Amino acid sequence: MIDFLAGAALIFAGGFAAIFVVEKAKAWAFFVFAAAAQLFILPPAFGTLLNGGQLVLPVHFSGPIGTAYLRLDPLAALFASVTSVGALLTSIYSIGYMKMYRGQRAALSSYFFFVGMMSASMLLVEVTQNVILFLIVWEIMSVSSFFLVAFENGDDEVRKSSLYYFIAMQAGVAFLIAALAWASAASGSLDFSSFAAVLCKHDSVSMLLFVLFFVGFGTKAGIVPMHTWLPRAHPAAPTGVSALMSGVMIKTGIYGILRILLLSGIPDYRLAYGVLVVSVITGIFGVMNAIAQHDIKRLLAYHSIENIGIIGMGIGVGMLGLVYNNPLIAMLGFFGAVLHVVNHFTFKSVLFYGSGVVYSQTHTRNMDNLGGLSKYIPLTSLMFLIASLAITGLPLFNGFISELAIYLGLARSFSEGSIAMVVAALFGFSGLAFIGAMALLCFTKVYGICFLGLPRTKYHVEPNERERTLLVPMGILTVVIVGIGLLPWLTIDLLKNVVMEFVPSLNPDQLVPLTGIFRTISGALAALIGLTGLFFGLRAFLLRKRKVSRYKTWDCGYQVGSSRLQYTSSSFAQPFLHLVAELVPQKIHVEKQPVLFPEEASLESHTQDLSERYIFRPSIGILNKFLNLFSWIQSGRMQQYIMYGLVFLVVLLIWILGIK
Amino acid sequence: MPKAVAEIVIVISPLFFIGLISKVKSLWAGRKGAPVLQPYYDFFKLMGKGEVISTTTSPVFRIAPSIGIAATFFALTIIPIPVFGSVIHFEGDFVLFAYLLGLSKFLMVLGALDTGSSFEGMGASREVTYSTIVETAFFIVIGSLALLTRHFSFETIFASVNLASGFSPLVKILLVVSLFIMLLAEGSRVPVDDPNTHLELTMIHEVMVLDYSGPDLAFIQYTASLKMTIISILIADLLVPSSLALIPACALSASIVALVFVSVGVVESLIARSRISHIPQFLFLMTTLSLTSFAVVAFFLFGIIR
Repeated sequence: MIDFLAGAALIFAGGFAAIFVVEKAKAWAFFVFAAAAQLFILPPAFGTLLNGGQLVLPVHFSGPIGTAYLRLDPLAALFASVTSVGALLTSIYSIGYMKMYRGQRAALSSYFFFVGMMSASMLLVEVTQNVILFLIVWEIMSVSSFFLVAFENGDDEVRKSSLYYFIAMQAGVAFLIAALAWASAASGSLDFSSFAAVLCKHDSVSMLLFVLFFVGFGTKAGIVPMHTWLPRAHPAAPTGVSALMSGVMIKTGIYGILRILLLSGIPDYRLAYGVLVVSVITGIFGVMNAIAQHDIKRLLAYHSIENIGIIGMGIGVGMLGLVYNNPLIAMLGFFGAVLHVVNHFTFKSVLFYGSGVVYSQTHTRNMDNLGGLSKYIPLTSLMFLIASLAITGLPLFNGFISELAIYLGLARSFSEGSIAMVVAALFGFSGLAFIGAMALLCFTKVYGICFLGLPRTKYHVEPNERERTLLVPMGILTVVIVGIGLLPWLTIDLLKNVVMEFVPSLNPDQLVPLTGIFRTISGALAALIGLTGLFFGLRAFLLRKRKVSRYKTWDCGYQVGSSRLQYTSSSFAQPFLHLVAELVPQKIHVEKQPVLFPEEASLESHTQDLSERYIFRPSIGILNKFLNLFSWIQSGRMQQYIMYGLVFLVVLLIWILGIK
Repeated sequence: MPKAVAEIVIVISPLFFIGLISKVKSLWAGRKGAPVLQPYYDFFKLMGKGEVISTTTSPVFRIAPSIGIAATFFALTIIPIPVFGSVIHFEGDFVLFAYLLGLSKFLMVLGALDTGSSFEGMGASREVTYSTIVETAFFIVIGSLALLTRHFSFETIFASVNLASGFSPLVKILLVVSLFIMLLAEGSRVPVDDPNTHLELTMIHEVMVLDYSGPDLAFIQYTASLKMTIISILIADLLVPSSLALIPACALSASIVALVFVSVGVVESLIARSRISHIPQFLFLMTTLSLTSFAVVAFFLFGIIR
């Protein structure tokens, strides 16, 4: 456990050290520290994951904290390994990516400092089980990531987004403070493990506490309707940080929900249904909004919401399994959820890193200006394609495996006794299929529009991928994506201890059928690859003596087309958005000259987030009105403020000395 | 051994069924029509030709048809052939089945976008839009079957679907119609799409493959017909009792599949292709029917209706 803390300290020290070295060496310095930290973090984390049990370290503080327990159990170990590897990959990626900001010495120093701080605090969040200490590291995590989101603070939009992010995080933590304070008051201890007595009771207090925790952690995770900060913060942050935030940081919210669940024993059935339904809505809402986006990073941010929904569905299925005392369903749900945590980290990081390569080369995130990139940056586009297939949940890649586990859990729920369960299972079952089909639409759009076809606007500098440090982290993760996709049964050994924590009644023999299924799939996919090779070979064989000529695209005889005539991301998504116009309202602004042959015309479309439109804007309005009642206190006159101070002092004196 | 023969027969047959559709349409229109085996002649003609490949395209364009045909072949090994069963089966195999078709679709859409043609972009966009409706409804179909039989693999589902209790005929009718709508959508037939109207703005699948030629086009056309055959076999699975002996079962399944294709031809002769804006409504019919069947199963199982 000490080595784990040493690792976290090393990552932080790396960021600190980066301040003091010359500009070119900053990234390398941070990388060296982050790499060294892996040697301290991964052995205890993987040891706990594979062997079970937990490492405990009591730390004695004076004052209100008292003795704080740091615990590394399989659940924490899983999230900590993801965090640690994520930090390392971002450190590699930053070597190349941050060259864009050459000359901005102070900005670069703060970047590495805060990346180090954020990574270290995330690691601590995952092991800290003392209320006060937890809130401190949680806040450090939020604040350090706020400074990273605000990295390009010269830009007005970025400043606004980062403040929005900051406020959202504070609103979220308010729920957490309330929940943690209540739970520790009710249990009489600051240690998480003592909350079990309060949370297990199945009374209105435990229900309300769970809801508070769910809202608080859900804000971090991006559960609808508390998700509105994600599509703002992710595009604003530098890409390495977007990947870290989306791949790792929002998972601390999931970690929190899972931790509370672990303390709640067998959950209340209403909570289980609630989590499942909210998650399905989160998933559908996330991907539906993603389809409407033009900004590639904003689109990916909405996809994070979708994937949080899928993870939540796994958790919901797991909870239902516990409620109905069916360890098999519970196992499938929790297994799918935690595997999807890992999977989402891999493919979403690749997608963000890839979008960063695109941005660093073309300086635009607007997909309608891109196109044909696969000819300029073939390796990036291959890895982006693999990650796109994975996030869509298609076979051969890892997304399929975790979604399959959740599907299986839902399908098994059909054989449970209650009609509510059956209906909920169908909602999840068809909801997941709907999410999958929409993700297919969304990623054919992203990949097809950005990487295939022809450039929609001319690139001023020919894009290239000479910066190899950008490709290394993508390459590592792509290998993991394909590895899990083709050899899925290996993940069972890795995750079984985490799942066993949640489903203590699970007999290890019950994992055997799942292993069998995964082995069958593995063989089938190998055969599929072989079959594809066979057909491609047959094609090559048939064409070997035939004439294969290259000619312009057949545009029904029209020969003077320009690349601007290609379908854009907006036009590709239009038929679908037309179908769901009520759920994803679009504002379309057309400008054209009112003459017969207009020479110029323009069309702009913006989507509005329903949750912002109907929940946050009105509630902020009401809040503003209420607070305005007190605005007279702030007059802006110095004399008045001095008088407040005097009145306060006099009241204080009277209070201390007593009225009598 | 008979199973292998059955699989081979199915692999060979899809183009025959396409010919059957055209024959039905011709006869209905009072024409003599092309021979039923015409699609085979076309197939082999295309296999022997060279290709013209757009200069805009990347390797994705060239590999897409091969992945498409391989994935669809694999989907065939997952579905059970009446009385013979399936080649690959495991719990949750229907997810692999649906996602293999998704994989094939993903690549074909990318192939269309790779050409940079606005026509193909349009077809691709429609294809993925409609598949969001069809795929969701397909999982509701599976859901009602899983609820009815309490099995979670195609083979065991269809083996026991005919043993279920008295209300199953109603459920079966609803599911057969749902699957038939799926067949029309996935196979790009009237009223969703019209395979005969080449180069018109109203099309979906045909316009997506405008730039393919030679063996690639042959693969694509075969893939489309195989996909339709697969769905019609699912329909046969629903209807053929598993207690039947080998020969009558084979005869019955073959005639059901043929009947499905004849009905496709009849539908195409009777009604015109829908307006694009009306297609989602038609596809939502599949959602409604499958939801109804789910509700019927649930109500009966939980004793709300007796």
